[in-house]
Amino acid sequence: MATTTKAAKSTNALVGKSRKKRPSSKTTTIHARGEFVGIEPKRTLGGIRIGDLLSIVGAAVAAFALAIVLATQVAPITGGIAFFVVWYLLFMGFYALLVSIDDTKTFVMDRVVAVLVTSLGVLLFSVLIFVIVFVIGRGAEALPFLSFYTEDMGLAGPLDPLSVGGVAHAIAGSLIQIAIALAITIPLGIAAAVYLNEIPGRFSRFVRTIVEAMTALPSIVAGLFIFATVILMFGLPKSGLAASLAISVMMLPIMIRSADVVLRLVPQTLKEASIGLGASQWKTVWNVVLPTSRSGLTTSIILATARGIGETSPVLLTSGFTAELNVNPLESPMVSLPLAIFQFVKSPEPTMIARGFGTAAVLMLLVLTLFVIARIIGGMTPEKSARARIRRAEFFGWFSTTARKINSLIPRRITNVKEAS
Amino acid sequence: MNIRRTLVKSARASLALLLTGIIVSGGSTAALAADYVPISGAGSSWSANAIDQWRRNVKQYGMSVNYASTGSVDGRNQFKGGTVDYGVSETPYGLTDNGVVDALPTRPFVYIPIVAGGTAFMYNLTSGGNRITNLRLSGDVVTKMFTGVITKWNDALIAADNPGLTLPDRAVVPVVRSDGSGSTAQFTLWMDTKYNSLWESYCDKVGRNECGQTSFFPTTSGMVAQPNSQGVSGYVAQTANEGTITYVEYSYALKTGFPVAKVLNDANYYVEPTASNVAVGLLGAVINQDETSSMYLTQELSGVYNNKDPRAYPLSSYSYMIAPTTEQASFTATKGATLSAFANYFLCEGQQQAEVLGYSPLPVNLVRVGLEQVTKIPGADTATINISQCNNPTFSASGENTLAKNAPMPDPCDKKGVEQCTEGTGGASATSTGGTTETGTTSTTDGTTGTGTTGGALGVTMGTGPTQCDVDTGICSSIKAVPVATTSTGWAATNWVILSVIIILVLVVVVPPVMVTYAARKVRSS
Amino acid sequence: MLTDTPRQLTIIRDRSDKIFRGVIRAGGSTVLVIMVLVGSFLAYRASQALNKAGWSFFTEQAWEPDAGKFGIAAVIVGTILIATVAIVVALPLSLGTALFITEYAPRKLRSFLVSIVDLMAAIPSVVFGLWGFFFLQQSIVPVSRWISQYFGWIPGLGVTGVDPTDPLATTTVYTSSTFIAGIVVGIMVTPIVTSIMREVFSQTPVGEREGALALGATRWAMIRNVVLPFGQGGIIGGTMLGLGRALGETIAVYMIISPVFFIQPNILQNGASSVAALIALRYGESTEMGLSALMAAGLALFTMTLIVNFGASIVVSRSRSGAAS
Repeated sequence: MATTTKAAKSTNALVGKSRKKRPSSKTTTIHARGEFVGIEPKRTLGGIRIGDLLSIVGAAVAAFALAIVLATQVAPITGGIAFFVVWYLLFMGFYALLVSIDDTKTFVMDRVVAVLVTSLGVLLFSVLIFVIVFVIGRGAEALPFLSFYTEDMGLAGPLDPLSVGGVAHAIAGSLIQIAIALAITIPLGIAAAVYLNEIPGRFSRFVRTIVEAMTALPSIVAGLFIFATVILMFGLPKSGLAASLAISVMMLPIMIRSADVVLRLVPQTLKEASIGLGASQWKTVWNVVLPTSRSGLTTSIILATARGIGETSPVLLTSGFTAELNVNPLESPMVSLPLAIFQFVKSPEPTMIARGFGTAAVLMLLVLTLFVIARIIGGMTPEKSARARIRRAEFFGWFSTTARKINSLIPRRITNVKEAS
Repeated sequence: MNIRRTLVKSARASLALLLTGIIVSGGSTAALAADYVPISGAGSSWSANAIDQWRRNVKQYGMSVNYASTGSVDGRNQFKGGTVDYGVSETPYGLTDNGVVDALPTRPFVYIPIVAGGTAFMYNLTSGGNRITNLRLSGDVVTKMFTGVITKWNDALIAADNPGLTLPDRAVVPVVRSDGSGSTAQFTLWMDTKYNSLWESYCDKVGRNECGQTSFFPTTSGMVAQPNSQGVSGYVAQTANEGTITYVEYSYALKTGFPVAKVLNDANYYVEPTASNVAVGLLGAVINQDETSSMYLTQELSGVYNNKDPRAYPLSSYSYMIAPTTEQASFTATKGATLSAFANYFLCEGQQQAEVLGYSPLPVNLVRVGLEQVTKIPGADTATINISQCNNPTFSASGENTLAKNAPMPDPCDKKGVEQCTEGTGGASATSTGGTTETGTTSTTDGTTGTGTTGGALGVTMGTGPTQCDVDTGICSSIKAVPVATTSTGWAATNWVILSVIIILVLVVVVPPVMVTYAARKVRSS
Repeated sequence: MLTDTPRQLTIIRDRSDKIFRGVIRAGGSTVLVIMVLVGSFLAYRASQALNKAGWSFFTEQAWEPDAGKFGIAAVIVGTILIATVAIVVALPLSLGTALFITEYAPRKLRSFLVSIVDLMAAIPSVVFGLWGFFFLQQSIVPVSRWISQYFGWIPGLGVTGVDPTDPLATTTVYTSSTFIAGIVVGIMVTPIVTSIMREVFSQTPVGEREGALALGATRWAMIRNVVLPFGQGGIIGGTMLGLGRALGETIAVYMIISPVFFIQPNILQNGASSVAALIALRYGESTEMGLSALMAAGLALFTMTLIVNFGASIVVSRSRSGAAS
């Protein structure tokens, strides 16, 4: 065995550095049965044949040529989008044709689907990146000014240039509103999530169902609720506080749902060990459950924050509008970034529209920062796979809670299916 | 030309005056800056441009004035609900709209006139590649356009108003407000008063009985509805949206750079809603002077609509600030002090800027009663509110409205039946429409006519189509019908040849591999 | 045979535990109270309008609450149309992208693409609204025109009141339509849907994948026979969750549509309606009755979203992938 591996190694060395990881295709090593061969190096199954590449390029060129002929001579096509669509359809046709020359129907299908899926992926990414680039590009005029980040719009009227005024008031407003919303939702949300997990029973199941139902609440309806109660019924002025309450109503179910899922991921054995050692429930939760799921909880909080900070509709109804910096959430209107965008772009003045796009860029930057923080914290878990699990829990939370619940009612069938497959 | 120069001059003069006003008054008001508190209001987007500028201006005195331009109806409702310290609206409380009486708020309040202006008809129309900027419309034509009677821009009725224009065969797309709006209320009141049968038959047609004056424009297919003044003006201003027309405050057209239609008044002149024309028009307004009435200081506008002065713009009106007179619903005396100081500012100094912003300054009679109302606001510093120190540009020693008195008479070319003026209107005033051949020489134009910056005031109007000038006679005429090449029509024999060649080529490429595959499969399967 | 009978266990909790349990129970109850309050307040305020309108609330198209003539027939249909267009756009895009990320993308690029998609899911909707209003609105008009010209005979794709062969015909009929709003909302929900689908696909048992490949399946055959059946629940559930988001989207729709209060079946034509946008448009200027009517519309929207979401969870929980998560 030792000699064979050595031989393989030496061939590898001969073949050269670039192919070091692959065993040479010329050498086939057959091991005796039961002999330990160590970890076999992984073989590359993929790779691109030159013929595949040529088919793609050829089909693309042919389709382009035919599309031009079609566009100019036969049926006039107006606009780039239409031309692109025609080109793409022709390309697919030609490509299928080329592949079919030396492959069977199955392979043609495989190749065509590969191209289709890849182009759908590329299309989505390019559209999303285009959206972002477009927004930043339109706001580029406003972004270079330092005043854009340090001043409010108090001294900037419709006729003032971009060098005067900025969105400091909206940045401050957004941060204050989200801070209040978090002060409400974090304790309540975490307590409720712990409750759902620690004191199971008919009542907590009921609470869970209601919370899950409330995740379907459209954000505008959350705003409408606060508008009708807090502002119209109790007479609180349109203010930062009212906006925070609306954001809280919207964020609370989202946060509880994901925190609930994260807490479920805490291994039962850990809890049992703690209880078994004589710790009380409170000590178990405080010393075992919460620390174990800390990063998951933080991630769920931050992602709920990202959602709350970017919502326009609840604040539109509740926060009022101001052009000035206001740090008092209890009275006077307080503007947040999404609302500022919404108001800026309503103006016919080009500078105001540029400010609106610039504000959108700032808002995206803020969301990106939150996201990066979530990623860093999410990556700090002891076990590496936990990160994926938490992410899954976050984006998949809706299903897993309900799924688990229903699953627990019909466990047999599902297990059977799993085993059978 | 001269008139335009004088206008510019007067604007400059008023700006200079304003600056001195700020400097002079700055000294006295700055001392009071100590105890201003932020106040917030909402309402009319018709008045929003002016208020946005004023809230910026008073910032230097230490006042924080917040204003959300959410529409008049919202402003009235919010004031009623006590969620704002002041509201701004074009229409008073107590009117019946769509079968519902808009009840008075429970808290006592006063109306303070805030700014006057004209509801303008902003449009987006080109002909032969040139933007039309000198459209003229008579009242019934406007009504018919917004009630679906006139559906094409080349309608004979529009053409009758515009003898100098070649209008395209495009659909008229009225853009109206989708939210409850004072502009809509002003416009519908005008239609209801002047063209009642047209308006009511339209209302019947779209299933609303007895519209009368309404803040909610009843829409029908072919119309576009957008929220806010910015929404409608922004929609019309999108280059692709040709054929659109909307009603909006004049300042929005100015700021967007689009023309507005000159509207025919009762003196048979087509006029633009400039500051002076609105001021003249408003001389016909009857103001409710009955202090016991809940409608005190509100306007009765039929005199404006039927004003016989050749300079009067028929759709002139002014908006009100609704201010509380008692401390109630979070409205304190300190807030009152700020609100009254702000009101004092906009009634006097602030009006200096009205014209630059596209509005018209309030006349003296309105300012006088307005200031009286201001003193009723709790916490008002009555000592500083004094009409003799008021820097309003319309004031004169004789008590006449300076602006209205000095308003220029319309050009003869604005008279009905005469070939229209070529100068642009509204935000497009720097341009002129129609080729002008003042010398009568051979100026062959290629479709780019009409973008020059100086149209002769009484130049020969050529229409907006590409003009062709005869070399021998020097007479130019516009091409009435612009031929547009449609590629889809007329298949020549060559096209067929090319198509068949392509088909053959494609077959040559496609057939062999298919045959080969087919044959291979046959072989394999056998 | 001697068997142990289960013994009765009594748990004696110390004081800290009692306090702890009290606190979290209070937390849970508070949340319940808030949520029930929101729901019942909505229902209570809506009942006023529902009583007045009766069953006509579901059949009436006009929206004039103060005149007593209002219903959600037009706005609900409009909302569903916008959401349908959104899903038609989002489903192929997200299915393709999810498959691309899990099956086709180079391994090194994969985690980067996953992060990008997750990040895109957090982009504020107002940003998409800006893009839709300032870019798509204008550039999509030729496409709308082309579709209506050649496919106008299909119900729903026609445009009335305009002759498509007339070069001078106004293009405004193609703006502010259900189609444009739907595309914007579709692109907005695509990252969320993609994220869920990708998550499910990536959980496909490796053994099954390799088994299929070892049996000589092509990549597509493997996907069709292993990945897609396994991820079926995720595809349906993700799509329905995206549908829920699309139904409730406010600002992007508000910025684009030109609201109408009759059923506009032509999705390419100017004029669309949406419950959420209606609330944003009318909340401020409504009277007591108007607000109540808006609440009723909001309640209807909420109910619809709720049904969609619960439907999604049931579908997912019955599928293998849902059970595995």
